[in-house]
Amino acid sequence: MADVRQISVFINNKPNQLNEAVRHLKDEGINIRAMSLADTKDFGILRIIVSDTQKACDVLKDSGYAVIITDVVTVSIPDTAGQLSRVLDILGSEGVNVEYLYAFLGTSEKSVSFVIRVDDNVKASSALTNAGIIQLTENDIAEM
Amino acid sequence: MERYWNEEIECMSREDMKKLQDERLVAQVKHVYENVEYYRNLMDEKGVKPEDIRSTDDLHKLPFLSKADLRDAYPYGLLAKPLSECVRIHSTSGTTGKRVVAFYTQNDIDLWDDCCARAITAVGGTNEDVCQVCYGYGLFTGGAGLNGGSHKVGSLTLPMSSGNTERQIQFMRDLGSTILCCTPSYAAYIGETLHDMGFTPDDVKLKAGIFGAEPWTEEMRRSIEKSLGIKAYDIYGLTEISGPGVAFECSEQNGMHINEDNFIPEIINPETGEVLPDGEVGELVFTSITKEAFPLLRYRTRDLCVLSRKKCSCGRTLIKMTKPMGRSDDMMIIRGVNVFPSQIETVLIEQGYTPNYLIEVDRVNNSDTLDISVEMNPEQLSDKVKDMQDKERKLAGAIKTMLGISPKVHLVSPKSIARSEGKAVRVIDRRKLHD
Repeated sequence: MADVRQISVFINNKPNQLNEAVRHLKDEGINIRAMSLADTKDFGILRIIVSDTQKACDVLKDSGYAVIITDVVTVSIPDTAGQLSRVLDILGSEGVNVEYLYAFLGTSEKSVSFVIRVDDNVKASSALTNAGIIQLTENDIAEM
Repeated sequence: MERYWNEEIECMSREDMKKLQDERLVAQVKHVYENVEYYRNLMDEKGVKPEDIRSTDDLHKLPFLSKADLRDAYPYGLLAKPLSECVRIHSTSGTTGKRVVAFYTQNDIDLWDDCCARAITAVGGTNEDVCQVCYGYGLFTGGAGLNGGSHKVGSLTLPMSSGNTERQIQFMRDLGSTILCCTPSYAAYIGETLHDMGFTPDDVKLKAGIFGAEPWTEEMRRSIEKSLGIKAYDIYGLTEISGPGVAFECSEQNGMHINEDNFIPEIINPETGEVLPDGEVGELVFTSITKEAFPLLRYRTRDLCVLSRKKCSCGRTLIKMTKPMGRSDDMMIIRGVNVFPSQIETVLIEQGYTPNYLIEVDRVNNSDTLDISVEMNPEQLSDKVKDMQDKERKLAGAIKTMLGISPKVHLVSPKSIARSEGKAVRVIDRRKLHD
């Protein structure tokens, strides 16, 4: 069981809003390991996995952002065809629903990592463990 | 036990009050007819002479005054005393056009201070209290009115004016303010700032607040009461009639007592001008019966409310007015439907949102659009877009139920809508730019 905490930040649909949020992280020396921006006509939700979750959360809150932390599943899989499909098959066969997923930014030559937001972390995590899929810990992410 | 500033007047029998009003009205009409050419002309046009007004029963015979008259007569046209007897002016913000300037003799100021003293006493204020006035000081009547009332009561007065909120809170804590006087939106902002500075209501000694000068809702009252740990009371007034203290709320917190020994209220049909009976919604009209320098007769306030003579648990017999349900100036007609910002605010608070919002009305392809930006609370955030869109849809649905027309709702970050330290700007109507 290796839950990783994801930070979601509400971003107004106005120029420079995303830039400002990211700059707060830069100023604190926080590194973004994985990110996705879900956007609508009105607003965006920036989801990030960072090197120091608590610090990032504090700095964003102090700057007035609406911030929420969610536990997500992360996997590190070989960078070969069919691997992601295999992960999704495992989750699907356990009846785990995937809300969204996105890739980590940095990759090694041999593997690639994903953030997966599911409706049941416990079930997803044990299914992946049983299938021998490597999941990341926050320590792994801090050391990336 | 209920305390009164002037028990004789505040608890006077209806018969005695009518007698007092009759005498004062007759004298006032004579004073105005003799000294104000502008109003004399209006009376002459209507064929009304001062001797036709023998009691308040004849009030309906007098012509109305509106804001347009005040602009036409700017600056001295409605002045009823020589300038040598006037000691001060106050002025409206001028947001709806030319400024209105009102004049005061020393006696006018004394009577006004007395009205505000009644309001402060009604919320429990005495000479033991510390009254922090953060209405704007200057041309605006808010600061001067409550300042004068607080002096009269003998409270220690903190003439803070508005702005510099952290300093407000510092004084509040250091000097132990017990009564806060400001606009409700500023009170809400002080509450937020108090919280942001890491304090709770237990860290201040406030017990009551007197909030007016802009529309606010019962929900906003509850949220201010909670954030500051106080009882929040409404106060009503307008520069044209004197300033805050024309009417004030008592311990019942259910409508405001009008200082009718100074101001006679009427409710009229805004379309026809016909006087409506107590209990019906209509436009509030005031006749000043004690003002010397700037005595307006039958002034149309544009505020829509209801008058009631139902017995009040506080013991006062002064007639009560409901909180204005809207100003006919604020009323927007969107796709043919009457919309008041206060209705939207009510829904927002019911649905767990902050009362910080911006209404934008525009016209696209000959059809009106209504966009409402609403600040969400940080705890309302979800990482799923669908959840957030559901929240927007649910809020839009609730507003549609209230108004009968569908708005577009846009959630925005906490504190991203500009706060005002005076009157809040909540509506931008761009249709006017096209006309």
